[in-house]
Amino acid sequence: MGPGIITGFAGNDAGGVTTYTAVGAHYGFALLWLLLLSTAGLLVIQEMCARMGAVTGKGLSDLIRERFGVRWTIVAMIALLIANGSNVAAEFAGVAASLELLGVERIVSVPAAALVIWALIVFFSYRVVERALFVLVLAFVAYPISAVIVHPDWDSVMRGLAIPTLSTQQAALIAALALVGTTITPYMQFYIQASIVDKGIDREQYRFARVDVYLGAILTGLNGFFIIVAAGAVLFPAHVIVGSASDAAQALGPLAGEQAKLLFGVGLLGASLLAALVMPLSTSYAICEAFGWESGISRNFREAPVFMGLFTFLIAIGALVVLSPNVPLIPLILVSQNVNGLLLPIVLIFILLLAGDRTVMGDQANGRVSQVVGIGTALMASALSIGLVAVTVFGL
Amino acid sequence: MPYLSEIQNRRVIEPNGNVVGRLTDVAVVPQGQFPAAQWAILATPGGEKVVRWADLAQEIGHLRLRSRLEATPPAQLPPDALRLARDLLDKQIVDTHGAKVVRVNDLQLSEVDGQLRLVGADVGLRGLLRRVGAEGVAERIAGVAGRRLPRGIIPWHLVEPLQAKEPEAPKTAAVRLTIPHQKLALLHPADIADVVEEMTADERVAVFQQLDLETAADALQEVEPEMQAAIVSDLPEERAADILEEMDPDEAADLLQDLPEDRREELVDLMEKEEASDVEELLTYPEDSAGGIMTTDFVALPGEQTAAQSIDQLREKKPDPELTYYLYVVDAQGKLEGVLSLRDLVVAPPETKVTAIMDPRVLKIPAETPKEEVASLIAKYDLLALPVIDARGRLLGTVTVDDVVELILPRGWKKRSLRSIAR
Repeated sequence: MGPGIITGFAGNDAGGVTTYTAVGAHYGFALLWLLLLSTAGLLVIQEMCARMGAVTGKGLSDLIRERFGVRWTIVAMIALLIANGSNVAAEFAGVAASLELLGVERIVSVPAAALVIWALIVFFSYRVVERALFVLVLAFVAYPISAVIVHPDWDSVMRGLAIPTLSTQQAALIAALALVGTTITPYMQFYIQASIVDKGIDREQYRFARVDVYLGAILTGLNGFFIIVAAGAVLFPAHVIVGSASDAAQALGPLAGEQAKLLFGVGLLGASLLAALVMPLSTSYAICEAFGWESGISRNFREAPVFMGLFTFLIAIGALVVLSPNVPLIPLILVSQNVNGLLLPIVLIFILLLAGDRTVMGDQANGRVSQVVGIGTALMASALSIGLVAVTVFGL
Repeated sequence: MPYLSEIQNRRVIEPNGNVVGRLTDVAVVPQGQFPAAQWAILATPGGEKVVRWADLAQEIGHLRLRSRLEATPPAQLPPDALRLARDLLDKQIVDTHGAKVVRVNDLQLSEVDGQLRLVGADVGLRGLLRRVGAEGVAERIAGVAGRRLPRGIIPWHLVEPLQAKEPEAPKTAAVRLTIPHQKLALLHPADIADVVEEMTADERVAVFQQLDLETAADALQEVEPEMQAAIVSDLPEERAADILEEMDPDEAADLLQDLPEDRREELVDLMEKEEASDVEELLTYPEDSAGGIMTTDFVALPGEQTAAQSIDQLREKKPDPELTYYLYVVDAQGKLEGVLSLRDLVVAPPETKVTAIMDPRVLKIPAETPKEEVASLIAKYDLLALPVIDARGRLLGTVTVDDVVELILPRGWKKRSLRSIAR
């Protein structure tokens, strides 16, 4: 598997599954057009970041620092830290929700998961575990099957894809922004560029890597599509409000029947743990890279205090948020994806400025199509963000 | 001593005070130890202008052109010129193996022989804070907490800008900086220590593998105590033991004290018998007592010896200079009886017994004395060293002024040495 497909998989985390399920359950197929636009945006932006990695051999935070200086780097890194911090909280919420389905209290599961993840990173190699978790995530193959066997009304699916409709109610805007934020996370852009650099893919090899990047983005979109269709066909007609993981699991009912909860729980657990493992680490790498602080998991706290401190902090804060009394898990996850959506335009602006800059990219700078689609995506996320803030603050 | 971030964006005015633009960048040709600022890049309403640095005068708060902008001849940057802000600032300094080390947070400039020269790369937290205008605030906050912000400047002559391998690569990717190890070995051990403290763990270990033993030992003694232990832990055991042997026994003992017990024992076992026993003895005393900081190297003269015999003894043993300030007289059991100076010994008639010329009123301290007390005694009586004795009055070692200098000097003073070498 190439970096693009892995990134596509990584996008399929607690935030993604929950958001797509909620969107399908509450709005049926009505927001599929937004998923289509987001996927197109994702495809173009992922390709930009991968291309930047191949051309410059540098990570995204590296380029931001070198091109825009310290102040703007601080802005970008704070945005990334908040977005990823909320994602980590969402992943722990996913751990709690999935294990609650299987009968484990969150007061036990969340601290245990946090400790295990931390210990894996500090004392062992997490690579082995990473593969094992990938296998669990394969449980979500159940979504395309479910989506087909429930025989959804494909005409209305097509209408949902083709005709943009959006209510201006707060709840609808929250769902829409979460949908954009979870499809195009700021996190994925840093991650794909770092993967390309790590693999040492250069200009020559990039021609082949580009295909993998496109496939990854399409995979993310298809995954969202099938979850929304399954949820829209099963939960929406039944007027199910997704308030818990067991509500969400019903979308797999037509396929798995009684075993739907188990199937959903296993998939969600694998996806959440995987992302909770990778996300704090890659955040720490990106931030330390930007400021020239020592990083690497073979270091100890004395050698790389900021690096070790940062991912420890992210894991701790994510777990603590989920453990705070009476936090509803599903709304928490949806809010976290809104945070991603709100911060996405900031990160997109940096990406567009860098990828379009000939002094950075030479003859590989963005062409007109990429730049227009990128700007369009940034505008779409900004418009939804501003709309949501306006509706929330002024109660329009 | 200005930093690039402090002069960048300064207003540029004409002789009559008319503002014509801002300074955006300074260009140098990277040759020689500390390259001189040769060109200024100005942002003017008419676009970017390059002028010779000599056509500008630095004044408080702004730069003044020596003649009107239109009358100032435009300059051309040669292809090998480096623009400090564009080509160096925010770039990574990588080690010789290409692994990333640190980032250039700021560039230090200094007036040398009437020319502004690039003297150092600021890779520390201070540089980062200065860039966001928070250095002063952070310094005050650190001051309240009783600490000083660390300074992290790599002298420019240790840094080599590398040209890109692919000529078609965009200019921003063109500069890589490295610290070649050979250049490092030429520095004073204290300066090596300052540079090493800014490196990554791998690079530090590589440096201590390559330096000759004596330089490595001297440099390691100057490194911050916490980092000393980390470096020794990461070095191969044989190499670590060899370096420890070369260190002063008291410094070696202090370092070993910070290591886990099994690692400590392994290393002591690998050391030569003689050095190992000195170190082991020192390890039995608490770290912050006179016994813990003393050195077991000293000159002890048997009481019945004559002045001439004693001079012969010194000639034969060739003790380090800092051990010859005070010569201690001991009896057959090793009990401290008195002290004399090298001068006393030399001017005395050759056949005089040392007991006759010594001063029996010698200030001495038990091994358990806290080190702060030792420091205040040394400061109060203006001593260069203090003898340490055991319960039976036997001479165990001496605490020299350099062992307690950190306790006497104000905090953070040692760190200033970096600025002086960058000059």
